[in-house]
Amino acid sequence: MAIYGSWIKDWRQHLFESGLVWPVLAGVVLLGIWEIYVRTQLPDFVATPTGILMALPSTISDYSFWSAALATFGAIVEGVAIGTVAGILVGVAMGRVPEINWFLSTYIRALYALPLIALVPIVILWVGYQPAARLTIVVISAFLPVAVTTADGTRAISNEYLDVGRIFGAKTYHVWFGIALPTALPHIVAGIELGFARGITNAIAVEVLASINGMGMTVFEKSAQLNENASLVFVLALAIFAVSIRSLMIRSRQWLAPWYRDR
Amino acid sequence: MRKGSLGRRINYVRAAYAWWIRMACYALSIVLLLLAWQAFGNSFGVLFVPFTTTMGRLWELIVDGPLLEALGVSGQLYGVTLTISIVLGVGLGLVLARMKLAAAAFEPYIYVLYATPTISLVPFVSVMFGFEFWSRVIVAVLISIFPILLGVLEGARSIPRGHLDVAASFGSTEGQLWRDVILPYITPYAMTGIKQSVALSMVGTLVAEFFLNPDGVAAVLLQGTTTLDSASVLAVTVFVAAIAVVLVGIGELIERYLVRWRFTAVG
Repeated sequence: MAIYGSWIKDWRQHLFESGLVWPVLAGVVLLGIWEIYVRTQLPDFVATPTGILMALPSTISDYSFWSAALATFGAIVEGVAIGTVAGILVGVAMGRVPEINWFLSTYIRALYALPLIALVPIVILWVGYQPAARLTIVVISAFLPVAVTTADGTRAISNEYLDVGRIFGAKTYHVWFGIALPTALPHIVAGIELGFARGITNAIAVEVLASINGMGMTVFEKSAQLNENASLVFVLALAIFAVSIRSLMIRSRQWLAPWYRDR
Repeated sequence: MRKGSLGRRINYVRAAYAWWIRMACYALSIVLLLLAWQAFGNSFGVLFVPFTTTMGRLWELIVDGPLLEALGVSGQLYGVTLTISIVLGVGLGLVLARMKLAAAAFEPYIYVLYATPTISLVPFVSVMFGFEFWSRVIVAVLISIFPILLGVLEGARSIPRGHLDVAASFGSTEGQLWRDVILPYITPYAMTGIKQSVALSMVGTLVAEFFLNPDGVAAVLLQGTTTLDSASVLAVTVFVAAIAVVLVGIGELIERYLVRWRFTAVG
């Protein structure tokens, strides 16, 4: 009994010290309000926290959940990878050669300003109602921010680095990939992070608009079948994916560029 | 030796005629794109129409088509979304910065909501609030508010203690404190968020129009897609791109004006 009590005490102390107690409390209150409001005010099929909990096992043990997750997340990771490589190459060229920058910047900046969701219809029209349309949109979503941030990052190298490089006889590719690229790493990671965020949103948009199998389409489909609890399980999975990608990006920035501090 | 002198000569030309080369690059890129578009369009068939056809269709859509009316519908949603995002974002940001407990309690959820793709929340918004105007506003605001909210929150938190102490020791009232210290200090943070929100409100407007009973510009785009009318889709896409560039440009100008000391200080 004594041991049990002290364990609770330790645990409580830990909770307070880590600053978790208020978020947990707020979460419980929010979920409670949600549950009570829906149960008393809204029709039965609207999702509730307990309903989601009940729907969780049957939803994630279903084959369709994993096939949708693999399709969507796979396309996002693949598309961001392709877009990042292309964006870095174009971005370094834009950052280091002013003529290339002037030649390309009109379009890259215009496309960067454009809400990419406006491109979804034309991409669907050109690529067709198939998974390749989703991949295309994700590639574009990642390419633009990475190209812009890489160009900005590689342009702003202090002359001292370049002078030292020149003294040691650096060739052009040494300057590009040995000096400019490492200097721009924090910018590039920020670009990839933005690319992931936009890629996730736009991938879902394509799925819904073109009826391509995946997480986004399933959310809408289950919701249309008034199976809101199962639908929210998919939303939760999407949120977990998005949050993990975000923290992965922050970690990788600390790991790749430990000298860089955010703001 | 010869190679070095050639390289030096090229560098000399690049430095001496930088402005001309720059303008030539801009002009060349536009001309080349239009030529390529025209050439491809003529040889590609129905799915990719030439530049002139696209512009002609854009003119038709504007003069006696649905585009201007749709633009009015979308513009209204955009204006309401941006206004609510700014007012609510700045207000909530300041309140949360003052109330440490509430901020500690709700901040993780704000970040999770920010990271969650808002499109996936559309079905729940529509179940709770329907498909009409205010439901669209909720979806659009959920997309565009976070950069302002988080920016103001961060700005208000990073006000140096010294600023507040100096103001207090000169006997400034609460109103003066806000006008002379707090608001000027958070303006750059808020403007960074607002600039992002200018673009994101457009995303929000389009998402709300695409996914809650199609309406406005998004409806014109969708109709073109279902009828395989690539000229209309291309025309409206170019039109939306032009509006986006103008809006983002205006946002940047306002930021430069409101936070001009930052740009002059850096040089």
